[in-house]
Amino acid sequence: MEKIMPSCWRSQTKPHLFCPGCGHGITLKQLGYAVDELKIQGKTTFGIDIGCSLLAWNFFDIDTIQTHHGRTTPVMVGYKMMKPKRVAIAYMGDGGGYAIGLQSLLHAAFRNDPITAILVNNSLYGMTGGQMAPTTRPGEVTVTSPDGKQAEFGDGLKGPELVRQIANKKAYIARASISKPIVLKNTLKKAIENQIKNNSFSFVEVVSICPTNWKMNAKQCFSRLSDMEDYYPLGEVLAQKEKNVE
Amino acid sequence: MKNIQFINGSQAALKGAIEAGAGVMFGYPITPSTEILEGWIGAASENNSLKYLQTEDETSAGFAVCGALLAGVKAFTATAGPGNTLMQDPLSMAENLRLPFVCIIMQRGGPSTGTVNFSQQEVNLSAFGGNGDGLRCVYSASTVEEMYTLTIKAFSTAWKYKFPTFVLGDGHLAKMRMKASLIKPMNSVNSSPILKENNVPTLLRNCYSSEEAFGKKLKINIEDWKKTSLKIEEFEAYKIRDAKELIIAHGSVADAAKDAVDILRNRKKKIGLFRPITIHPIASLPLRKAISKAKRVYIVESSLNQFSRIVKYEANGLKTPIIEISKPAESFSAEEIVRKLISS
Amino acid sequence: MLNKTKKINITLAGEGGQGIQTIAKILSEASINSGHEVAYMPVFGVEQRGTPSVAHITISNQKLRYPKFDIADYVVILQSRAVKAIDRYVSPNTKVVFDSSTISERDLPKTSVHLLGLPATKLAHEQFNPKSFNIIVLGALSNLLQIPEKITWDLVLKVLGKKFKNEEIKNINREALLFGRELVFEKSAFTKAIFKTKHRAIIFKGYNKTGQLFPGRCKGCGICITKCPVGALSFSDDLGLYATPIPKVDLEKCIGCGNCRNFCPDGSISIEKDTKISK
Repeated sequence: MEKIMPSCWRSQTKPHLFCPGCGHGITLKQLGYAVDELKIQGKTTFGIDIGCSLLAWNFFDIDTIQTHHGRTTPVMVGYKMMKPKRVAIAYMGDGGGYAIGLQSLLHAAFRNDPITAILVNNSLYGMTGGQMAPTTRPGEVTVTSPDGKQAEFGDGLKGPELVRQIANKKAYIARASISKPIVLKNTLKKAIENQIKNNSFSFVEVVSICPTNWKMNAKQCFSRLSDMEDYYPLGEVLAQKEKNVE
Repeated sequence: MKNIQFINGSQAALKGAIEAGAGVMFGYPITPSTEILEGWIGAASENNSLKYLQTEDETSAGFAVCGALLAGVKAFTATAGPGNTLMQDPLSMAENLRLPFVCIIMQRGGPSTGTVNFSQQEVNLSAFGGNGDGLRCVYSASTVEEMYTLTIKAFSTAWKYKFPTFVLGDGHLAKMRMKASLIKPMNSVNSSPILKENNVPTLLRNCYSSEEAFGKKLKINIEDWKKTSLKIEEFEAYKIRDAKELIIAHGSVADAAKDAVDILRNRKKKIGLFRPITIHPIASLPLRKAISKAKRVYIVESSLNQFSRIVKYEANGLKTPIIEISKPAESFSAEEIVRKLISS
Repeated sequence: MLNKTKKINITLAGEGGQGIQTIAKILSEASINSGHEVAYMPVFGVEQRGTPSVAHITISNQKLRYPKFDIADYVVILQSRAVKAIDRYVSPNTKVVFDSSTISERDLPKTSVHLLGLPATKLAHEQFNPKSFNIIVLGALSNLLQIPEKITWDLVLKVLGKKFKNEEIKNINREALLFGRELVFEKSAFTKAIFKTKHRAIIFKGYNKTGQLFPGRCKGCGICITKCPVGALSFSDDLGLYATPIPKVDLEKCIGCGNCRNFCPDGSISIEKDTKISK
């Protein structure tokens, strides 16, 4: 059975600074187990965004770079180009990946840059106090949508599906959830293996919880998460079959 | 009529924008300016003539502001730190096209994401950022109350003279609550579309093919900016009439410096404070006069000489020794300013 | 309390999530409503939880300028981990109010001379509920600063009223505020600082299973309890990292499924079957 904490977790920085019940803690744990099982701790570089993900800057015993908001993807693209034998992971939230960093995420998928992007989706901006995000669903109340997210601000953005439209055929794109930790771990492993074995792009969105900004306890959080999973379907996102043009 | 409220600098700036007749705010969450966007959205919930959009990033927010200005609406944004860095792209366009862009900056520690708390390190960015020559107007607020009055002034300056206009606050002013007397310093200025929708179309570009053509346009803008400078430059002189030594400071550091002046005056030191309210254009002649009258000048700021560089440029040729007291990204208490002055 | 020329500088420090800013907001606005000049300056970093939350309040009868000060007249410390954020404000003249039920004397700044103990965590747990902690502190401080009770309570309603879902909760909070106001600070013989984490690991065995629990990493989120398929976990009376309850395990009910370990965001809990079934 697995250890209480992944071996690649940096024990001196535990307890970590994520909030009680934070989905980052669960995601980073399964990522840690994935790194342990793939035996890649010594050859991985971990890039993180601004927002709550920045609290992971000293989380692992792995080389880590905290970048600017939405810029983790291009930083890891540049890094990997110079260090093709290293495993490059770009870790971000839904603000960094789908708002300011969307352009870079799409282009990395388009070019099939051999990095693994992991995006933790709690459908709001946590660190700045709970503002609306691209994945906030219609009608949801946040501090910048006090009357509920209006139609003119968009529905909930379906990121993996969007990325799949533009991504190279060899890219691995999936959505997982912290509600199924073992599946999450295996999805992350598959994604990283796509980088290592197929030298291709991979992207995993992790649907997650934020007790602090959702202002919910554990039970309520998982109930809301279940609603999110209805809206954001889990599983691998495959390329649509091409239609013949008559 | 007195209107005294116990509010923080972000709330004061927001009230200023509403009082000035702003019609739309574009923005992106970034500490410590986010409260202005949140407050605006809250106000818009109750008043549907106020419009807003939380954009996908700061650059887009700035360009959306430009779009709204072209339509003739008083538009503004608020940002900080790395957001200010990104904002320089649309601000450069506004500087080129003479758009009345109002930008509220709550300075935080830099470079990069630094801190969310406080600094005076966005002077360079605000006054001289982007790839132009700094044809901009920058007000520096020293109190919660000034976040209100200077925001109103900024809209007036921007629409009268058509240069990007900034209100510099900082993270402490943003979050600290103090009594503010919210009295409007002037009437709201009128706005009108820049893309005029006339029979004769308005054709705007910011790219030119020849040096000479662009140089000619820049010359006009520079002349206009110099004329604007004389109309808007503003400063405060605190106890300088008989002062032998002079502190020069801006923003909230200057407010602490006033208390430092009082402490030193109690100890029989003849010292005063020159506080530029516009740091760019700065009130050059009064500044030179104040420096030349003093035996010693101390420039106190929470950056590595960004403000001092502006002052020293204006003081060129004057003999008074100038001592720079700089503490990048960290604030001063009044007592600390006193100690640093005495030990320098 | 204030004579003509003096001003009072107060620094409050605790951890994010304890309600420091709420207490400070209410105290500062209550002081304004009592006719004083007031400045309130919050100071905190980017983390929402787990790092110091500090508030500075200056109360005066004269108009105030930029309120940053070097030395506080009162420092209120509600979490030992926040001490390092505020020890620079403590001089031998500073009165140091501290939660004696979670902070021992030796954890206080070395320059502390005048100590005022306020075992708020213990009192909240024993006489009200853990959430009443900040209202009790607010009561005690409003009394210390001679802010009238009605003004304080009106502001509690203004700031927190929406959270009082019914009359009963409102009344509990009112009682907690009044309780706080009646408290007498400990000048010596302080309450033992035991209302905090036992930092050692807890190992427990039984029914062919071995469990590990690390209270020093448990933030009391309750996810393990929610995700246990057989209801073998529940909150105990022991405290974790943020003085919130940690879980306890009924090993007889436990089926060793590993959910608690897999879901715990902090690596605080794991229960394994003693004999492995190998394929």
